[in-house]
Amino acid sequence: MTILHSREKLTLANELIYELKVKDAMTREVISFSADSTFREIQLSMKKNKISGVPILDEKRNIIGIVSIDNVITALDENYVNDKVRDYMTKEVITIPQNFSLVSAIKKFEKYKFGRLPVTENAHSRKLVGILTMGDILNRLLLSIQSIAEQVEQKEDSNAQLSDELIKKAQQKPLRFEVKKADFDNAGRVASIIRTYLQKLNINKQIIRRVAIVCYEAEMNISIHSLGGYISVELDQNNIIITAVDYGPGIPDIEEAMKPGFTTASEQIRALGFGAGMGLPNIKKCADHLELESSMETGTILKAIIHI
Amino acid sequence: MLIKEIVDILEAEVLTGEDILDQEIEEFEASDLLSDVLALGKENFLLLTGLTTQQVVRTAEIAGGIGVVFVRGKTPEQEAIGLARSHHIPLLITSKSMFDACRAIVEAMINKEKK
Repeated sequence: MTILHSREKLTLANELIYELKVKDAMTREVISFSADSTFREIQLSMKKNKISGVPILDEKRNIIGIVSIDNVITALDENYVNDKVRDYMTKEVITIPQNFSLVSAIKKFEKYKFGRLPVTENAHSRKLVGILTMGDILNRLLLSIQSIAEQVEQKEDSNAQLSDELIKKAQQKPLRFEVKKADFDNAGRVASIIRTYLQKLNINKQIIRRVAIVCYEAEMNISIHSLGGYISVELDQNNIIITAVDYGPGIPDIEEAMKPGFTTASEQIRALGFGAGMGLPNIKKCADHLELESSMETGTILKAIIHI
Repeated sequence: MLIKEIVDILEAEVLTGEDILDQEIEEFEASDLLSDVLALGKENFLLLTGLTTQQVVRTAEIAGGIGVVFVRGKTPEQEAIGLARSHHIPLLITSKSMFDACRAIVEAMINKEKK
């Protein structure tokens, strides 16, 4: 088992094995037997249920032993398959409490090379509440990893649905969206919503593209360089007007900031594929008319107009 | 050229969008600078990139891209996959480098013209 050793490749899985608990991954419906059951009974159950080990419980559901497929094979070999398991079962059972993290379970699997771990109610109890295999852990991890993509997908889909309401609103007053400082994961959300909205109004594709690019670059600028701000989009008969406002600290030299390639962005931003000093030049290229005002006291206002 | 032809040319794995690979690629863009992709001014392009953030998919969506290829076998963030599914943008991974991927595409285009 190499899950613990390939840290770089499996960073997400690694985060999850610390976060998720044994109880999140274990199987709760456990097939168990009493010490008075015979190996034959257990062997038939293993075959029927496709399992390779069963816990042996007392009348209070405390674990007193375990019978694995190896025990059954030995019983067949040595001809005591119709005997009760009480005297032959493995009595020193390694268990794991349900509130332990999955990383502890993986360590135990690595150390003891067992196929399954009976799960107890807590560290001081022997009461069985479930059973855990590496397969259970893998399934749970895949489920969690999958759900991250699904959450984003659902959020994005609901953004698109939102725009039916937005269409009505936008005809009355400008649409306004908050943009937070350093919130790069959400950068582009405004551009995406506006794009969907303009598509519903059957506006020319090239114009939609230009509006979306202006919004996206403006969002990036606000989240990279400012303390936060907002973007508003307004429609009239002939124009789409995009206004990006931030609360400071302001651009010291606008002329310089407009030069392609001029940047003050950090390495972190560059790693995202932005911050190469192309934002404002891109906005200028896409807009039919651009106004940029900046004050070191109040912040920056960018107004881009695109003719329909 | 169709996206599904690119899958063969680049020996690529399709991460999402298996059912929408029949789209015609009009332009190609190979870049690790998303602002440049935004400035491109082309429609229906395939983006080849070494970046793996969700901004890659966002950029493709906004700039009119119809697919993204991650080069050097790099896997994108889970968030990028969610965005791509929502916007129906196929995501491909190739183990080829950016240069080799571009060269393979160009060679395939030349071969196609000869025929």
